[in-house]
Amino acid sequence: MEESHYLNCKSRAQNYNPPVDLRLLDYVSIYDNNLMCAICRCPFVDPVVLSECDHVFCRDCIRQSWNSNTSYTPLGPRGDCPTCRTPAKLGPRSATSKILVNLVDELVVHCPKRDDGCKAEVRRCEVQDHVNIYCGYTVIECTDDDCTLPVRRKDAAQGCLHFGVSCLSCHKELQKWKLEAHWRSECADRRVHCDMCKSSVFYRDLEAHRKEACPAMSVSCPGKALGCTSRSKRGHAELHAKSCTFAKLAPVLLKQQERLDEQEAAQKEMSRKLEVLEGGFQNMQGILYPPGVETSQRSADNSLTPSLQERLFGSGTAESTTPTGTAAGYDWTESAVDEDAVSPAETMHTAFSSATSPRQRAAPLPPGPRPADLPEPFSSDFDIASPTGFPPPATNGGPYASPLHHLLSMHESLRDEMTRVSSALSELDGRHSMQILNENLRTREEISYLAAQTAGLQRQVHWLTSSALQRQQGRSPTPGASSSGAGGAMMDAGAGAGVEAAVGAVSTAATALRGAARMVNVGGNGSGSGTGTGMRRGTSEEGRTKL
Amino acid sequence: MAANKRIMKELAEINNNPLQGCTIKLAKEDDLNNWDVTMDGPPESPYAGGKFNIQIVLPKEYPFKPPVLTFKTKIYHPNVTNDDKGAMCLGMLRADEWKPPNKIVDVLKLVRAVLAAPQPDDAVEAGIANEFKTDRKAFDKTAQDWVKKYAK
Ligand SMILES: [Zn+2]
Ligand SMILES: [Zn+2]
Ligand SMILES: [Zn+2]
Ligand SMILES: [Zn+2]
Ligand SMILES: [Zn+2]
Ligand SMILES: [Zn+2]
Ligand SMILES: [Zn+2]
Repeated sequence: MEESHYLNCKSRAQNYNPPVDLRLLDYVSIYDNNLMCAICRCPFVDPVVLSECDHVFCRDCIRQSWNSNTSYTPLGPRGDCPTCRTPAKLGPRSATSKILVNLVDELVVHCPKRDDGCKAEVRRCEVQDHVNIYCGYTVIECTDDDCTLPVRRKDAAQGCLHFGVSCLSCHKELQKWKLEAHWRSECADRRVHCDMCKSSVFYRDLEAHRKEACPAMSVSCPGKALGCTSRSKRGHAELHAKSCTFAKLAPVLLKQQERLDEQEAAQKEMSRKLEVLEGGFQNMQGILYPPGVETSQRSADNSLTPSLQERLFGSGTAESTTPTGTAAGYDWTESAVDEDAVSPAETMHTAFSSATSPRQRAAPLPPGPRPADLPEPFSSDFDIASPTGFPPPATNGGPYASPLHHLLSMHESLRDEMTRVSSALSELDGRHSMQILNENLRTREEISYLAAQTAGLQRQVHWLTSSALQRQQGRSPTPGASSSGAGGAMMDAGAGAGVEAAVGAVSTAATALRGAARMVNVGGNGSGSGTGTGMRRGTSEEGRTKL
Repeated sequence: MAANKRIMKELAEINNNPLQGCTIKLAKEDDLNNWDVTMDGPPESPYAGGKFNIQIVLPKEYPFKPPVLTFKTKIYHPNVTNDDKGAMCLGMLRADEWKPPNKIVDVLKLVRAVLAAPQPDDAVEAGIANEFKTDRKAFDKTAQDWVKKYAK
């Protein structure tokens, strides 16, 4: 009877329960490392000794090792020892020391159904029997004759539990025999004990309880960021906070830190913009300066510079302080613009302020006490921001007190450049007109020479004509030669007419020349006199030395 | 299953008895086969001061197949491939040299040793190995530069 019951249990149990894998067990006993298989790192399960090197492994472990490393041999399993690489094969079971087998069999393990609730601790050699025969958490076939569904052994005596119920807490529908497992590990609405403070909470609230409410949970001091390493239970945290200097300072210092970060961000933005501007200036400088030109010549009109500085300073304030500061900066700017006459700096400055304004709109600083109210760490920058204490701009090169100074000095040198360029331009203009004048003088001289020549020619022609006429008059009274004389007179008259035409032509040419000379004189600033030319030449020489 | 048990054991062991200069965690909480290791560069080596992220993937067949080790942080080293993979494959990490009794701790110890003393004769990056052998100063310099650039 006992026997048949045992067999019955066994067969039923095996339907639902696979054999226990001994390598998955949790050990209660502390075991020696020498009992541990090098492959699975558990106490040996069915240990075998390798034929050549006497290394011991679990039978399954060594098989698996060799299988995965290929080399199938018909002579039975063989391969290299996983530890020492000696080629070997499995020794016979009898080769394994009985002592070793006993040692590992005697180790005490937890029942594999421990997670389900079984608290049994048994020797490893008996664990299979425990699960098969005794463990209340093993699943067996329902004891009801008409029912073949599974049930836990400990519940089997209650009769068939295969009917539907719903969980009292979460109202989930499930079979009665599964209810306990549901309560144990699934139901979100089950009550559990907080393992810190022993109070009972809903499982789904456990996380939140631990994080926020559990009085036994240790929390760190509010001054942790400042260096207080103290941790205390939530219940005592307030007590500590009262006595801890760090905790008292924390809100103030954190706020300051926040402000510092803001400042830093603003400053970063500013220096980035400065960089851009500087780049622009350098480009302009590169265009204006041919590389060889001396830089020593400084601008004559420094009168523009102070106003520019003030304006720059105005926008600088706007950069580094709060919106109120910005508004003030703008007012300043406008009044300065009104005061000033039209100058190149004017346009530059408007460009400045317009470049400043969109950024301010994009990143408005939160309201709060102005950084000027803060004591120590801002000193160097705030010298610049205070209107009275604005230092003069750095002159030639050298390390600048701040990017603002640098910008200012660059601006000034740029202005110098502009002045130099304009003076060079006017000089060029002078030289040019001088050249034209010289050219005119030469032309005029040539023309007068030509006029003199023409006059000489005219005189010559006149003389020739008059002599020809005299000859004609002296010959006419002789009648004998009337016909031939008439013919000669006719000829002479023809010649005279030709000469007269030539004289006319020469004289018209002369007038034309004279007219041209007059025109040149008018072009040369209307000074035709010799003294005028002399003076002109003087000026031109002066111009040349100037150049 | 037995493999998982072994991995869990190894993880527990390493957490209870941490290896100096290494922090180890699972890349994903529910994936035992994917380890995330942060290793400090060994002092007295050009990698000193660097923090190297190493990924260790344990194959399904672990411990019968070796783990696969990759440097997620770029490193200038003759034994680590200089590509996106950053693979290190040497000594016990080779498939034919791997022994199931080896543990991840042993692997990490090996990695540390190789960082401290590169193995130019076993190199995957011939150029770097050559530089290591012929111009140690230049090698150290580049390695340090890479540490500054990538491993901070
Ligand atoms: Zn084993
Ligand atoms: Zn061996
Ligand atoms: Zn049990
Ligand atoms: Zn039933
Ligand atoms: Zn429920
Ligand atoms: Zn609690
Ligand atoms: Zn404190």
